[in-house]
Amino acid sequence: MRENKKPRDWRKGLIIVAFCAIPLALLVFFTYVPFIQMAGYSFYKMKYIGTPKWVGLDNYIQVFTRDDTLSSLKISLYYIIGSLIQLALALYMATVLSFKVKLGNLFKGIYFFPYLINGIAVGFIFKFFYTRGYIFDSVLQLCGFDLNNLPYWLKDQSINNWSLVGASLWRYIGQSVILFIGAIMSIDKSLYEAAEIDGANKWQQFRHIILPGIKTILVLNVILSITGSLSVFEIPYVVTSGANGTASYFVLMDQLAHTSQKVGLASAMAIVLLAIILIMALLQQLFFKFVFRDADDGVAKARKQAAKADRKRRKMAVKTAPIFRNGSKEKAVA
Amino acid sequence: MNAFKRIVTAATAAVCVLGMAACGSGNGASSDTTDMTYPSIELGKTKTDIKATIRVFNHKTDMANDSYNGESWNEYIAEFNKLYPNITVKVETSTNYASDALTRLQGGDWGDVMMLPAVDRSEYPTYFLPFGSLDDMQKEVRYATNNAYEKKVYGIASMGNALGVVYNKKIFQEAGVTEVPKTPDDFIAALKAVKEKTKAIPLYTNYAAGWTMSAWDSYIGGTATGDSKYMNQELLHTESPFADPGDGTHAYNVYKVLYDAVADGLIEDDYSTTDWESSKSKMNNGEIATMVLGAWAVSQIKNAGDNADDISYMPFPITVDGKQYTTSAADYAWCINKDSSVTNQEAAMIFVKWMVEKSGFAINEGGIPTDISDDSMPDIYGDEFKDVDFIEDEPAVDGEEDLFNDLNSDSELAINAGGNARVQAIVEHAANKDESYDDIVKEWNEKWNAALKTEDVDVKYTTVAK
Repeated sequence: MRENKKPRDWRKGLIIVAFCAIPLALLVFFTYVPFIQMAGYSFYKMKYIGTPKWVGLDNYIQVFTRDDTLSSLKISLYYIIGSLIQLALALYMATVLSFKVKLGNLFKGIYFFPYLINGIAVGFIFKFFYTRGYIFDSVLQLCGFDLNNLPYWLKDQSINNWSLVGASLWRYIGQSVILFIGAIMSIDKSLYEAAEIDGANKWQQFRHIILPGIKTILVLNVILSITGSLSVFEIPYVVTSGANGTASYFVLMDQLAHTSQKVGLASAMAIVLLAIILIMALLQQLFFKFVFRDADDGVAKARKQAAKADRKRRKMAVKTAPIFRNGSKEKAVA
Repeated sequence: MNAFKRIVTAATAAVCVLGMAACGSGNGASSDTTDMTYPSIELGKTKTDIKATIRVFNHKTDMANDSYNGESWNEYIAEFNKLYPNITVKVETSTNYASDALTRLQGGDWGDVMMLPAVDRSEYPTYFLPFGSLDDMQKEVRYATNNAYEKKVYGIASMGNALGVVYNKKIFQEAGVTEVPKTPDDFIAALKAVKEKTKAIPLYTNYAAGWTMSAWDSYIGGTATGDSKYMNQELLHTESPFADPGDGTHAYNVYKVLYDAVADGLIEDDYSTTDWESSKSKMNNGEIATMVLGAWAVSQIKNAGDNADDISYMPFPITVDGKQYTTSAADYAWCINKDSSVTNQEAAMIFVKWMVEKSGFAINEGGIPTDISDDSMPDIYGDEFKDVDFIEDEPAVDGEEDLFNDLNSDSELAINAGGNARVQAIVEHAANKDESYDDIVKEWNEKWNAALKTEDVDVKYTTVAK
C-alpha cells in the first residue's frame, strides 16, 4: 500500500501543477506582467516609439487637475443609473420567468440573444436605429408621434447619453436575467409551497424568499454593473466615437493613448480608474452588508419568524384560549 | 519576464532562420550594384539590348484584369516591350498591399520592383537601390524629397494627388453659382444659394465617420498659405498659428468655413448619424452639393451612381494675395530591390523610368504626373484648377523630423494625425452655439503654445509666417 501511494501522490501533484501552470502562466504573462509594465509607464512621458522620459507623479497630477479626465466620469453616472434600471428590470423578468410561464424558454433565449451579438455589431445596429427617420423614429411614428416633435437621438447633447444607455441596457439585460434565473432556480422549491400554505402572496414570496436567496448574485451583479459603467467603452466608441459629449473615461483614455500618443498619461488614468473601482466595490460591499444585515438567509429568517409565531401562539393559547376561540389576533400572526 | 522574452526571441529567431533557409537560397544576395542612375537613362537609347526578366509587385489589383476600363498591366507591358523587347515584366498584385508588401520585404524574395511600403527612412539603404542623388533627381521628378534619405532618392512617386473640394456641378448651376468660389465668403454665399434654390444639402460634413473630418487638417499647409515651407518648417516655430491673420488665409480661415457653414445651418440635418458609404451615392444623385475631401474621393463618388459627369473637383476656397494654391502630395512610390542582379537592377530602373515618363500611368489613373517636364493634368483638375498653383510641402529641416509629431502629441491637437475629435468639436460648438469660433481657436492656440514651450522650440513667427 505504502509503496503504491507515494508515486501516485507525486503524479497527482504533477498533474495539478501541470493543469494550473498553463492558466496561471497565461494569467501572469497576459494580465499581471502587462499591468505591472503599465503601472511603470504611468511614471514616464512617453509615446509608443521613442525614449520614455521619467516624470515621476506628473501624470497622476495631470489626471486630477485636467478638466476633462475626472469629469468624464460624469458620463458614467448615466450608465450607473441605467444599470440600476437594468438590474431592476432583469430581476423582475427573471422572477416572472422562474415561475411557470408559457414559452418561458423562448423568452429566456430572446432576452439573452443580444448579449451574444458582438459589441461592435450592436454599436452599428444602434447607429442606424437612432438615425433620423430610421427604425426608432419610424416605430414611434407608427405609434402616432410626429417626426418633427421627436428629438435627434444622438445629436441632441441633452439626451444622446440616454440613447447610448438604452443601447447598453438592451445589450446587457439578458446577461443579468440569466444570472438571476440561475440563482432563483437554486432556491429550494419547498420554501414557496410552505410560504403559500402560510398565505404569503407573490410579492411577499419575492421579498422574503427570493431576494435573500439570491443576495450574493444580486450584489455581484450590482458590482459588475457599476464597475462596467465606470469603464464603459464599446457603445460610445462605436456609436458616436465619443463625439458630441459622449466620451466616457475609457474613450478619452483611448484618444489620449492612440491619437495624442500620451501613453504615460493614459496609463496613469487606467491606474486611477482601477483605484476608483476598488473603492467603489468596497463601498458597495459595506452598503449591502448594511442592507441585508438582518436578512442574510431566507431560511434562517423564516425559521426565526416561525419560532416567534409559535411562541406567541402558545402564549396566546395559554392566555386567551378560553375567551377568543376564533380570535383574529392569532390569524394575524399565523 | 526575461525568460519569457528569451523564449519568444528564440522561437522567432528559429522561424526566421528556417524561413531564410527556405527562400533565401534561390536568389543569392548579390552585393553588386549598378552604376546606372535614373537621370542617366535615355529611354530607347540606353541598353536597348538588355535581356532580363523582372518581377513587379504592386497594389493595382484592378489593373491586373484585362477587363479594367483604364489601361491594364498587360497593355502597359506590351507598350513597354515595343521599346525594350527583351525585358520580360511579370506583375504581381495584392489587395492587401500595405501589409503584404512589408511581409514580403522581410522575406527578401519580393522581386525587383515594388511600391515603397511604410518603412522608416533610415531603413531605405538596407532594402532599396538609390535612383540618384537628391539634387539630380529634383530636376527629373516631382516629390523627390518624399522618399529621400541622406541626400539619395530611394523611391519615385507613381503619381501625385492634390487637395480641393468635391462638388456637384449640376447643383451649383441650379443654384445659379456660375463661378467657382475662391474665398471663404464666396463659398459660404454659394452654399447659401444652394440651400435657397435647390433641395440639396449644401455641405455634407460626414461628421459621424470621424476620419472624414480630419481631412480638413490637410488644407492648412500650402493650400491656405501658398507657402511650401509652412507646413513642415515654419508652423513648427509659429506661436498662435490658429489666430486670425486678417487676410482670409491660414488655418483660421480653413476651419472657419466649417464653423460658419454649421452655424448657418448649411450642413446635413442630423450630422451625428451620417453614413459615409451612402453619402457617396447621395452626392452622385444630387442630394449633396459639396464635400471637403481629397482628390481620391472624386472617382469613388463618380462611380457611386449614374451621374458621374456632375461630379467635379474645385480648389479649396482660399485666395492668398490674389492667387489660389493647392498642396499636392505623392502617392505610392516605385522602388528597386538592391539585392537583385545588376542586369535586373538596370532593367528595373529602365522600366520605372518608362512608367514615369512614357506610360501615361499617372494621368490614366487620375493623378498628377511625377515627371517634372510633364505639365499635363488629369481630368479631375479641370478648368477649376486652371489658375491654381500646385505646390509641394517641403520636408522638415534636418534635426526637426520628429518635432511636429512631438508638438502634436504634447498639444493633443493631432493635426493631420487623426485629430477627428478636434474637428468634430467645431461642428458641435457651432451647432449648439455654446462656444464661439474665436474661443475654440484661442483654446487651440493655448495648447499649441504650451507644447512649443514644453519642446523648447524657439518661436520665430506669430500666426502668419512671413
